[in-house]
Amino acid sequence: MANETIIELKEITRSYNLAAEPVHALQGVSLTIKQGEYVAIMGTSGSGKSTLMNIIGCLDKPTTGTYILDGQDIVARSDDELATIRNRTIGFVFQQFNLLASMSALQNVMLPLVYAGISAGERKVKAELALKELGLEGRISHRPNELSGGQQQRVAIARAIVNNPRILLADEPTGALDSTTSREIMGLFNRLVDEGMTVIIVTHDPETASHARRVIKVRDGKIQEDSTREARHEIN
Amino acid sequence: MNLRELLGIAWQGILSNKLRSGLTVLGIVIGIASVITLLGIGQGAKLEAEKQVQSLGVNLIYVRPGAANLSSISQGQGSAATLTYDDAQAIRENCPAVEDVAAQYNSAFQVQRGEQNTSTSVVATEPSYTDIRNFFPAKGRFFSLNDLKEAARVCVLGETTANNLFFDENPLRKQVLIRGELFDVIGVMEHKGVTQMMDMDDQIFIPLSTGYATLVGLNAVTGKQVKSILVRAKEGEDMQAQFQITNLLRLRHNIQSPDADDFTLRTQADIMQTAQSITGVFSLLLGATAGISLLVGGIGIMNIMLVSVTERTKEIGIRKAIGAKYSQILSQFVIEAVVMSVTGGILGIGVGLAGASALSQFAQWTTVVTPSSVLLSFFVSLAIGLFFGIYPARKAAKLDPIVALRSE
Repeated sequence: MANETIIELKEITRSYNLAAEPVHALQGVSLTIKQGEYVAIMGTSGSGKSTLMNIIGCLDKPTTGTYILDGQDIVARSDDELATIRNRTIGFVFQQFNLLASMSALQNVMLPLVYAGISAGERKVKAELALKELGLEGRISHRPNELSGGQQQRVAIARAIVNNPRILLADEPTGALDSTTSREIMGLFNRLVDEGMTVIIVTHDPETASHARRVIKVRDGKIQEDSTREARHEIN
Repeated sequence: MNLRELLGIAWQGILSNKLRSGLTVLGIVIGIASVITLLGIGQGAKLEAEKQVQSLGVNLIYVRPGAANLSSISQGQGSAATLTYDDAQAIRENCPAVEDVAAQYNSAFQVQRGEQNTSTSVVATEPSYTDIRNFFPAKGRFFSLNDLKEAARVCVLGETTANNLFFDENPLRKQVLIRGELFDVIGVMEHKGVTQMMDMDDQIFIPLSTGYATLVGLNAVTGKQVKSILVRAKEGEDMQAQFQITNLLRLRHNIQSPDADDFTLRTQADIMQTAQSITGVFSLLLGATAGISLLVGGIGIMNIMLVSVTERTKEIGIRKAIGAKYSQILSQFVIEAVVMSVTGGILGIGVGLAGASALSQFAQWTTVVTPSSVLLSFFVSLAIGLFFGIYPARKAAKLDPIVALRSE
């Protein structure tokens, strides 16, 4: 299971033509991630890590290069096809949780299932199950503003995993949380990895990145370092 | 995602800002209510006009003298003194398609009764007038052929005239002075109302012969001049009757070319057409006014939807990130606009119906709200939601998810 390649990036570049001179956010990134890996992508702001995350998450397309996700070529896909891939294959967790304020925890978790075309009854069962898995069974009808930061992030994780995606993509998932809650959330990610989920965390924080078994450091739009935990232990 | 769920999402969006949505809906309510009410007034006016034309009498042809030309300046239709009582008799005798004829000479005279003094239209005519005009006495009787033959000094009062002269008294067997001549009142006409800008109830009817003998006198050139000849054609023979009358009068008046006709024929259909064209313009103006208020309401929806899309950019980004397609975002916002406009439409139909019935109740206006104008309003409100919702919705659906997610 762990040997199956799920993400394959080859010579990815991404340029923006915002100013007079084009900005090259990514300058030839090649990367392979296998099913079940726990990866942290690290870098300072402006390093290109967010652009890399957007491309891995199918929110953005590379300027050149190829991207094979779960056996499918992503570059040639239309916007609607990318939406479907985001819905089925990827679960997103954001720094600011990004829950819809007008909806209850349950409704928020059901939302990806709505876009997946799953019937209302089944949606409710699945969403309740996901919330229960994250210890939120007593909070299903609460609005986000009635929940603590940690609880909100757990609702967001429930939303990310409810549709059984292959990959969980987390952008600074502990950036808005205190250290105790952060450890709790990182523990959740460990659990998901143990259950076979591929987890990719994008962060600038070494403490957060230290939970991952593989750390990819990005700088100036290129991969600077790609090391597994075992390798890092050897260095230490 | 089925329609019910889309409606649910749209409803949530609308309820998230109740005051704003309510005011937007109000714009459509006002627009649709004015459409319903004003169309109701227009339809009512049309119906009223048709009823009045119908009440003029069935298969009626109205023969009037042509325009008199004084030094080649036209004095207007009906001003020439070219129609005579003999013409009326000739039509009666020689036109097989004609069922009945009533010649009339009408002019305004001073009428007195005791202290009461009024100026009113005196119509000198023949007994056949009542049948042709479909206008009968309510009290007493109309004058007879015998009265006509003997030029009897009798008169029949219109309802208003009777009230003006006699108030609550019974006018029968009492007398009035018309231009100083004494007349016996033998009848009072039924209520008829105003038709063709003329108050049918403010008139006095006398026998034509009595009119010539006492009020008008004979015209030196043409003999017994008449102001108009009312003709009733036989059922279904209007066209033949018109043709026969035209030919007869041209023959009698020595007219070679149709351009030189010294008389005009008007049928009920002509009068109906005039009335309809007037009420048509009226309806169009009312409709345009209502349409403008609807347009303003629609722009209100577009405006609010644009604000809503801007405010909810982040939400759109989240929805896109977790897998919403272009069409799903598009339909969410279009349906939100349509739900607002249709809600406004349904409320507006209710308010419009209430407005129309209030106008009938309190202002005595005839208003007719047809099912078709209700249906029209409903679909117009639907179309407004679609039309004015589509642009903001496209703007939302086209948002780049990365940009949308980054917005606050």
